[in-house]
Amino acid sequence: MTENVQQAEEQVEELEEIDLTAANEVIDKYIDIHGNLMPVLQGIQEAYGYIPEATVHLAAERLNVYASQIYGVLTFYAQFHLKPRGKYIIRVCMGTACHVKGAGRIGDAIVERLGISHAETTEDLKFTAEYVACIGACGMAPVIMVNDATYGSITVQKTAEVIEKYKAMD
Amino acid sequence: MVNLTIDGKQITTAKTSTIYEAAKENGIYIPVLCYAKKLLPYGACRICLVEVEQMKGRLIPSCTTPVTEGMVVTTTSDEINKVRKTVLEFLLVNHVVDCPVCDKGGECDLQDLTYEYEVVTNRFQGEKFDLPTDEVNPLIERNMNRCVLCGKCVRVCDEVVGYGSYSFINRGFETKIATAFDRGLNCEFCGQCVSMCPVGAILPRPFKFKARPWQLKDVDTVCGYCGNGCTVTLGVKDNQVQTIRFNEDTGVNHGNLCVRGRFGYSYVNDATRLTKPLIRKGGELREASWDEALVTIAEKFKAAGKDLGIISGARLTNEELLLLKRISSALGTHHLDHSGGECYQGLTAGLNETMGISASTGTFPQVEKCNAILAIRSDFYETHPVFGMVINQAIRLNDAQLSVIADKRGKLSKLPNARTLMHKPGCEINMINALCQVIIAEGLAKTDDLQGLAELTKALADYTPETVAKMVGADAEAIKKTARELAGAKNAAIVVAYGLPYTAHSKEIAIAASNLALLTGIAGREGSGLYLCGEKANSQGAIDLQITPGPAGLGAQQMLNSAAEGRLPVLYLVGEDPVVTYPDQGLVKKALEKSFLVVQDLFLTDSAKYADVVLPAASFTEKDGTFTNAERRIQRLRAGIKSPGEAKSDFVVFQSLLNKLQKTAPAAPAAAFGELTGEVAGYAGIVYEQIGPQGEVWGGETLAPLKKVLIPVAGNEPLQAEYQLLVGSALYHSGSVSTRSKGPMSVCPEPYIELGRDDAVTLNVKTGDMIQLKAAGVTIQSKAKVDNRLPKGVIFAPYHFAGLGLNRIYTGQSVIAVEPSKL
Ligand code: SF4
Ligand code: SF4
Ligand code: SF4
Ligand code: FES
Ligand code: FES
Repeated sequence: MTENVQQAEEQVEELEEIDLTAANEVIDKYIDIHGNLMPVLQGIQEAYGYIPEATVHLAAERLNVYASQIYGVLTFYAQFHLKPRGKYIIRVCMGTACHVKGAGRIGDAIVERLGISHAETTEDLKFTAEYVACIGACGMAPVIMVNDATYGSITVQKTAEVIEKYKAMD
Repeated sequence: MVNLTIDGKQITTAKTSTIYEAAKENGIYIPVLCYAKKLLPYGACRICLVEVEQMKGRLIPSCTTPVTEGMVVTTTSDEINKVRKTVLEFLLVNHVVDCPVCDKGGECDLQDLTYEYEVVTNRFQGEKFDLPTDEVNPLIERNMNRCVLCGKCVRVCDEVVGYGSYSFINRGFETKIATAFDRGLNCEFCGQCVSMCPVGAILPRPFKFKARPWQLKDVDTVCGYCGNGCTVTLGVKDNQVQTIRFNEDTGVNHGNLCVRGRFGYSYVNDATRLTKPLIRKGGELREASWDEALVTIAEKFKAAGKDLGIISGARLTNEELLLLKRISSALGTHHLDHSGGECYQGLTAGLNETMGISASTGTFPQVEKCNAILAIRSDFYETHPVFGMVINQAIRLNDAQLSVIADKRGKLSKLPNARTLMHKPGCEINMINALCQVIIAEGLAKTDDLQGLAELTKALADYTPETVAKMVGADAEAIKKTARELAGAKNAAIVVAYGLPYTAHSKEIAIAASNLALLTGIAGREGSGLYLCGEKANSQGAIDLQITPGPAGLGAQQMLNSAAEGRLPVLYLVGEDPVVTYPDQGLVKKALEKSFLVVQDLFLTDSAKYADVVLPAASFTEKDGTFTNAERRIQRLRAGIKSPGEAKSDFVVFQSLLNKLQKTAPAAPAAAFGELTGEVAGYAGIVYEQIGPQGEVWGGETLAPLKKVLIPVAGNEPLQAEYQLLVGSALYHSGSVSTRSKGPMSVCPEPYIELGRDDAVTLNVKTGDMIQLKAAGVTIQSKAKVDNRLPKGVIFAPYHFAGLGLNRIYTGQSVIAVEPSKL
């Protein structure tokens, strides 16, 4: 058997592990609406926290769009995530003001503590780090956010404390 | 028409032309990169910019701008050249420029333009792309470091092929062409993207480092696989077919091919080709001289006389078929048939009874302009892929409504707006009858000059959409909609594929389809057509030449039956391998064992192993002559290479045989064609030497029915069995030659048994597991392939593979009750 057939088979197996019920429900909701691709993808991301590959193939089949096309959309918009994400998203501002005030060191501190840098997720799916551009709180630079909470004038020491706090939470 | 001036030249052109097209028609050169004749206007690369006096102040992309009356266009100026040079500089910033090892070198648009515009230095600098090459599959290599983002591959795979492998992904500098989730390419491997790529970003792997383009001799000939009859351009070097390329200006296919035509050529160069005649001596096949072989055969044939059975494959040229007919009449035998002849009863008997003709009524280019298309059976795209692309084009360019009468979902069902009329296996006729019923009941029928309307109306009383829907599990509303569309469309087409895996109800399906074609006026109306498409490259030619049983003669299947009973002493198989491709393998083997068997073929096929004499034949790349495709188009084959060893074309073999039988034979294919135009009515007046690149369609673009008789045909009861097996074509194969080619074999290497998801769950089977099917006491085993195109309870198996032994349980039924189980 050729490699590519093998690869296709592995792909199938890998895809079978995800429960597609939620994705099917999202698609059911929008199936008759024109221009339904974006809401479907958003709905899937809401349900799974990211866009699992199997759901893309499912959506492709049910909405009769090419999977490649969906992938194009997913990689074009930064809002979509193709890998599972942590429960807590740590956004590290790398905007000019924060950069000048040492955002790089904050990033390093997170790598040191959690082993994750930009767009990476801890194995226990608890934390995801994201380096972002100015989040509009330059007055308190450097700034990080954990989900909706903002932490200004942050230091390496304070970063460690924040991480510990969330580690202790569920 | 519109008048304009380009570079001082007065030009009149069609209103729909773009500036680029108008220039090209008139021999004025404008460079292009992202433009392609067969794709929708795009306008991304800006290399084709020109000046238009009426639109001063900016440069205009000529490939997307329509012509207007009085337009004054300039195609070259210092300003224009400067911009074109800048475009090239930009492209070259990130491009790897590894021309010395790039197979595209010599026919690369970027290389040629860089040279033409003398881009010696680059004012811009930037990072070179450094992306890994995709070489997961054996046929197509993708090196995105050479990509110029023209989008042609994305567009052709969508607009023409309808597969949709590629998309632009990411943004900005990161933008590139990728498959879903950026995986290795895993598609139909039709190679259309290879043909379209202007640079060396998508290349055919079998051709890597084989030759520089200018070293290849181009030979235009006709693909030897299916009844589509695509023009293929052989790239020949060192008496080998090194590659097959496309030529969008010739033939019916606009340079489109399928995996068989594009990559299925390697069997031609295969080392296991037969190179010498073989004669069985002391129980073994041993090499012999041509003369000894021919003398032996002639004696046996003469002795058998009218008891000789001849079965020809449908890949012989028309000229060869003519000589074969001469041989049969010289010997007085009526037992003559071609590749599974019975399957063509739809054409030879069915259509003949209703319309008095035995061919499709329209031509493929007309289908592109249809508004409504009905496909009977799901796998037209698999059997005639490039005709499938024509249907796709009709949908894209003409907004055609496609309906598919199907027992499983195939690629047609995935096309935009396709409506699939699902029904239980084996019940196509019920569905067609229901369509006819609606048309009559709603007063939509075009009844002028139709015979038998009253009888048909009466017979169809039991076929209301509701009754049929209930019986065969279909959707009555969808049937009604489809019927109304077909009746109301200005141009409409009905398409059905014929061939070995579709023996059952062949005649009845054709009659039902022609009833529909007559009621809707589709048959014989300009722009519309009923297409009954033969499976093999020259199936239609074989029908035209009547390579069919004479009075009281036996058909292929009957010959085998008779031989198995010891009543047909000598069998002559020309390019046909019934052990693999015919129903009921047990019977076939018995027949071949019992008779004195002569096999003429490229390889020592499974059937040839039973032979007493084997003659080495020539492939389509080694032949001159003509094929007639499924739309009656007669096209010329041209030999590109010489046959290996002592192998000879069937034409030469038949000539020698006729001589041994003391008969004369035409000296060359051209002369033979001349003779056959005198014998085959439709071919009269066609001159071999004058058959141009687009071929000659016998009977004209629209073949008028000679009569219009409606004949009632009864539908079938659905089979009552939990699991039902369908036999058919797999996309990548056609008959059994393709299983000797590296191309199709590396994509679809093994036989498989396909199951739907639900059944896979019930039977606890995953793709790759071994399963077995039991039917009437016989079992076959294979790997399973789980898919989503089969309804619950329906199982599918392709018929091309000897290994599967499918024909041990397939004896020609439309559907077979089976018991599947996991091994
Ligand atoms: S080979 Fe054909 S199906 Fe595959 S990506 Fe290219 S155009 Fe699409
Ligand atoms: S791979 Fe070739 S055809 Fe596709 S976008 Fe790049 S240059 Fe164009
Ligand atoms: S097999 Fe048929 S569709 Fe494919 S290239 Fe040959 S003629 Fe065309
Ligand atoms: S730069 Fe960090 S908040 Fe503005
Ligand atoms: S060829 Fe006209 S924009 Fe590319």
